[in-house]
Amino acid sequence: MASNKKYWKSVEELKENSSIVDTLRQNEFVEEIPTDVFLGDKENLEASSTTRRDFLKYVGFTTAAASLAACEGPVVKSIPYVIKPDDIIPGVAEYYATTMADGFDLANVLVKVREGRPIKIEPNKEANGTTNARVQASVLSLYDSLRLKSPKANGTDISWADADLQIISKLNEVKESGLPIAVLTGTCASPSTKKLINNLGETFGTVNHVVYDAVSESAALDAFEAIYGSRALPDYHLEKAEVIVSIGADFLGDWQGGGFDSGYAKGRVPNQGKMSHHIQIESNMTLSGANADKRLMVKPSEQNLALIKLYQAVVKGISTREASPLNDAIQKAATKIKKAGSKAVVITGIQDKNAQLLALAINNAINSEVIDVVVTKNVRKGNDADVAQLITDMNAGKIGAVIINSSNPVYSLPNSTEFVEGLKKVKLSVAFTMQDNETANAVQYALATPHYLESWGDVVIKKGQYSLMQPTIKPLFNTRQFQDALLTWTGSTATYYDFLKETWNTEVLNGTSWNQALHDGVFTSEVVGEVSALEVDVDAAGSELAKIKGSNFELALYTKVGLGDGQMANNPWLQEFPDPITRTSWDNYLTISKADAETIGVVNYNVANGALNGSLVELTVNGVSETLPVFIQPGQAKGSLGLALGYGRTQGLKDEMKTGKNGYQFYKNFNNFQADVTLKVVEGEHEFACVQLQNTLMGRGDIIKEATLEEYNTIDSKEWNKVPMVSLDHNEVEATTVDLWESFDRSMGHHFNLSIDLNACTGCGACVIACHAENNVPVVGKDEIRRSRDMHWLRIDRYYSHEEDFAGDVETKENGTGVLGYKNTMSDLEDPSENPSVAFQPVMCQHCNHAPCETVCPVAATSHGRQGQNQMAYNRCVGTRYCANNCPYKVRRFNWFEYPENDNFDYNMNDDLGKMVLNPDVTVRSRGVMEKCSMCIQMTQATILKAKKEGRPVNTNEFETACSNACSTNAMVFGDINHKEDTVTSLTEDKRAYHLLEHIGTKPNVVYHVKVRNTQEA
Amino acid sequence: MKSVKLHSQLSRLVVNSLVFLLLFSLNLSAQEGDAANGEKLFKSTCAACHKLDAKLVGPALKGVTERREQDWLISWIKDSPGMIKSGDKLAIQVFEENNKLPMTQNPQLSDQDIIDILEYTKGEPIASESESVAQEVDPGVERGKKIFKTNCAACHKLEGKLIGPPLLNIGDKYENEWLKLWIKDNVALIASGDKLAKTASEYSPIGMTPFPQLSDEDLDDLLKYLAVGDVKEVAASTATSAKDEEIFNKPGFGVLPTLALTILAFLILVIIVSLTINKKVVEGEESTGSMLKTLFFNPFLRFLAILFFLLLGAWLLFGWLMQIDLNEGYQPIQPIAFSHTVHAGDNKIDCQYCHSSAKNSKTSGIPSANVCMNCHKTITEYKGELFDGHTKEDLDNEIQKIYNAVGWDKDNLKYIEGAVEKPIEWVRIHNLADFAYYNHSQHVTVAGLECQKCHGPVETMHEVRQFSPLTMDWCITCHRETEVDLTENGYYKNIHDQLANKYGVEKVTEAQMGGLECGKCHY
Repeated sequence: MASNKKYWKSVEELKENSSIVDTLRQNEFVEEIPTDVFLGDKENLEASSTTRRDFLKYVGFTTAAASLAACEGPVVKSIPYVIKPDDIIPGVAEYYATTMADGFDLANVLVKVREGRPIKIEPNKEANGTTNARVQASVLSLYDSLRLKSPKANGTDISWADADLQIISKLNEVKESGLPIAVLTGTCASPSTKKLINNLGETFGTVNHVVYDAVSESAALDAFEAIYGSRALPDYHLEKAEVIVSIGADFLGDWQGGGFDSGYAKGRVPNQGKMSHHIQIESNMTLSGANADKRLMVKPSEQNLALIKLYQAVVKGISTREASPLNDAIQKAATKIKKAGSKAVVITGIQDKNAQLLALAINNAINSEVIDVVVTKNVRKGNDADVAQLITDMNAGKIGAVIINSSNPVYSLPNSTEFVEGLKKVKLSVAFTMQDNETANAVQYALATPHYLESWGDVVIKKGQYSLMQPTIKPLFNTRQFQDALLTWTGSTATYYDFLKETWNTEVLNGTSWNQALHDGVFTSEVVGEVSALEVDVDAAGSELAKIKGSNFELALYTKVGLGDGQMANNPWLQEFPDPITRTSWDNYLTISKADAETIGVVNYNVANGALNGSLVELTVNGVSETLPVFIQPGQAKGSLGLALGYGRTQGLKDEMKTGKNGYQFYKNFNNFQADVTLKVVEGEHEFACVQLQNTLMGRGDIIKEATLEEYNTIDSKEWNKVPMVSLDHNEVEATTVDLWESFDRSMGHHFNLSIDLNACTGCGACVIACHAENNVPVVGKDEIRRSRDMHWLRIDRYYSHEEDFAGDVETKENGTGVLGYKNTMSDLEDPSENPSVAFQPVMCQHCNHAPCETVCPVAATSHGRQGQNQMAYNRCVGTRYCANNCPYKVRRFNWFEYPENDNFDYNMNDDLGKMVLNPDVTVRSRGVMEKCSMCIQMTQATILKAKKEGRPVNTNEFETACSNACSTNAMVFGDINHKEDTVTSLTEDKRAYHLLEHIGTKPNVVYHVKVRNTQEA
Repeated sequence: MKSVKLHSQLSRLVVNSLVFLLLFSLNLSAQEGDAANGEKLFKSTCAACHKLDAKLVGPALKGVTERREQDWLISWIKDSPGMIKSGDKLAIQVFEENNKLPMTQNPQLSDQDIIDILEYTKGEPIASESESVAQEVDPGVERGKKIFKTNCAACHKLEGKLIGPPLLNIGDKYENEWLKLWIKDNVALIASGDKLAKTASEYSPIGMTPFPQLSDEDLDDLLKYLAVGDVKEVAASTATSAKDEEIFNKPGFGVLPTLALTILAFLILVIIVSLTINKKVVEGEESTGSMLKTLFFNPFLRFLAILFFLLLGAWLLFGWLMQIDLNEGYQPIQPIAFSHTVHAGDNKIDCQYCHSSAKNSKTSGIPSANVCMNCHKTITEYKGELFDGHTKEDLDNEIQKIYNAVGWDKDNLKYIEGAVEKPIEWVRIHNLADFAYYNHSQHVTVAGLECQKCHGPVETMHEVRQFSPLTMDWCITCHRETEVDLTENGYYKNIHDQLANKYGVEKVTEAQMGGLECGKCHY
């Protein structure tokens, strides 16, 4: 039944008799030690002047020298403050509420500060803040050693005073010439900044504020403006939805600024027998598609058709006569939507105003409760037409000055050469930038700005929700905020802080306390009012949309959960973060369906050590060509290609981070769907850093359990959440009842458990980065990842299974007879280009009560704690790696190099500035030790100590780990099962709860919850 | 006749003799006092109040062992107030003899320590060139000093101005009677229209607090004190120390007999061995060559010898390796000759006044210079007993170092504008390895430990040294022995109830609570 489903992680696994998969299953450390190379070569050995005797002498000498050198301890200096700030206690972390707003990610966050150093970003839960991988990683960008460190004029350093003088005189010249000043910013949701830009206009004549998003949502904004009269984005309360139909919208990724996952997950956990039904119609395999109950693969141009048909079926009641899988599915979706009525929602990611109008019209027609058009979002404000106009005007000499803030148009504009030409024609070009990036090098004045953790600011993410940004560290470099510069240029002597406070006191706070707002990080005022829809000719929009022609191959551009729009490309955590779908890091690539790959003759194959290589193709879109590697992606719509934006940066980042190719050059008219695509196979191959085949569970069963909602509601849980049986005294008994070991009494004190709900986990990966930040996990680089030496303590496994839907899968399985029959059936149906269903599973150390690793350690470096944690004493470990061999979950990571002291790893840990992000409560591991998830023992101990100091019991749900804290969907819940009120206690007793590889009797302290899919159609 | 193999005989012999050897090499001089150690302890513990040959605060201690019984002395040194309370006549007599100044308790000293100290007091040469110049002091002056300290010192110093003017020899400037009136109620005096009072009141806009509670007698004493000032301590000659060393650096008395006995034992061993071998010869076993030759060529003996040397080598090497990076007694020279004896010992400043983060944080914290300034704004010079060969000028300069760090002008009593802050670079003494997590607040706030438990009698250390070895063995020994008080802290309530219900256990040690788990300190 359910749990017999075959899962696979890579196309390679589906090949019969694949030697690589076999090898990987048999042998975890694939590469042999190349002893033959240096011992087999007799001539070389004999020619060597070093005899064995000499060698031993050297060894003896170095050992003696090393031990002698160790005798003299260094003198350690302790330098206290001269005047200690009142609120700092060395060794105690402070938390500050602030807001991240870099134009792409906007989030209410808490910043953990140790001795004045921000070291971690956490969601500000009191302000309903959530974090994604990029927000979590943003703290490392603060310590980016390649940041722009002082203002520059034409590439040479200049003082702020000189820069001000020169710029003001030029601005006055521009004012006299009567030409307008263009201020080009990313999405600017800051009321005080807008005010300052207006002030600039009052001082220097006309100011033209152009808002530019590298990844545009302009179409959605235009459509919303057309119907509801304001240029904003509607909010979606997906927790209210019973039916979600998404056409090309990766709302669990970065669509419309993201952040929909927590609401979505609430509706996805079966609660009183109910969960939402999610239909995804898309080209690339996205996070949303991977989480959908029903996924349809269509080319981008067909998405338009699908939307039109859905509109006709739902709003007009017209059904198409031709029968095709797509039409069938649309009909079924339409029926579902009608049935759910106001509890349904249709969203689309098609970058076309007409498409967006259709979606809004459908929601309007069904009177959807899910869409919120009153409390709108300000996360994207970019206007494509304005940007295009600006470039034209610049080239026509109609612009006097260009001031750019928090934007890198020279890199991210598809027509960046035109923009650069235009820059040369304006009198004054200024860029406020944190990085010494492409734009900084193309303008006359590159003015260094502080990171958001060093800045003041305000953001209105949602209507009525005013967030404050406050500095958590003194500026590291000679930087100044955009707003402070505007104040200086407009002749004000006030600082931006004064201005901000003044603005808030007069316009926002309404008499309430500024300090309270600063403490909370957010001030919420109630939004009242009705918004009525204007009359728009939607039918005409539909017919307009229908005119868009497809082509043989179509390109769908997307952003990755890791790198996003590419602002943080110099962040090694994000570069090494494996894409949740492809499990590939350090790269972007062209995803292609298997069928298309076979047609044009490109391949992906695994080399001997399991690393993935791929063919290269030359992609030409609208006359722009680029050579790209191909990645064969199961679930990619035939005829479509996917390419991630945000890669291929060339300036202001370390060589290691210059990964991938720039996708923005194909992003014509800011449209993520591009037709007119040609492919040409070129010579050569590309090496991917893909972790998908590595660290698998070696073919052991019972890893992922699934059930349909129907089964969940109607059948006894023992059927779909089977407890594996083992033989005891020749009787079959449940594996959980058999115990090889004597157990401790665990009823006293704390006993920690981590619960992971496979239904709620969307695979977003915020936990992975949170774990990096909390536990000083090193970055190892692309080459090491290819050698399976990734150090992630927490990985998110992604499993594909074959059938389009769950029922079909079971059917196939049951029709196949015996092992051979099963295998044959599988190979018949196993076409990875067909639509696989996907499951995500975060796996970290399972903290087994009966841990196999503990029993084999020759030096007792890993042992079990009474609180349920499997403890790793690094200073005791001698690196036999026996524990890793014996771990059935493959969660132990061997530290091959001393990453912080090795110049070959030029990442944050080898950099004086980058080291400032390290958590001082966690050891930085040395070479030759095994490391793994500690269940954040430093956090649990800190919580216990806090309670002890305050002389009280630990509060309910007070225990947290980095991953559970970062999880915005509540998929990960941590707590003490001896504390009955903790949420985790009831979760471990849930009927969906199971342990990984239960049959081996390891009794883990990590509990998983069976994934339930709502497969019922119509 | 049953033949007895030579080697088994020999091995038995060797074992026997090893036991024999071991017996003799036991240290026979357990109760001997170690004067060298005694000297060290004397200097750190007693020297603040005692000298050997002269009266200081307490009586001269030379030959004290002849005057009193050793056991009495041990109890006295450990807990003199306790003895007085218990009604020990001798104790009360001593107490009265010494101006009823109670002696500091020294419970930290072991019996052996005290015996060592007493040993040291015996050996002190009688004659000393330096004559004690303990001046006869009028008790009124002493009282006056006390009154000054409690009432006036907040605003006045003897020399140099503070909030109020310097008061030394104030009697030369004003009449005593007028001063008395002024001190008792200067407000009334000014109000009465006294001209002198008016001029005096112009010294500072801040009016002086009236002290109506002081009696005339108090004021007389106070004025006496102000006329005399602090009696300068006459520095005792240090000439004796060289002699002390000469005497006490002689090899320890207990070593020689032990060595002799060991050699004797070895000789006996050799004789026994040779006798046995001779016996073998007599018994007709094969034997060629002389006895020594037999001994030398005997493969079993050679094997034993090699084994012995190998084991000895390994043991020595192991011992040497184990002491690497053990820094017990580490006493680096600090950038400021800060004396914990003066601050924590003499002035009894609470440890956590300066090391304030110990109760909140994992680190105890080195106080920032602004904490020093809380007191040193007014304490600009050192007036206590000199120590460690520093002169007063040296020590005043040390205080000046704080002013240099924070930029304080001690003459005008204000911070120098635009002064650059210069952090003080202390040398860290307690260097716990990075991979070991230690939290002060856990031990100070939760467990309620005294700082001295780990840091030793810091209040007696002029220059602090590492008192404890800081080895893991040291940590876990304490965790094994320490019982956790489950009743006081609300956190433990649940655990306490469960323990009592389930096992009827009332107390657990830290180790039983999981305090020995690797992951509790290594993460």
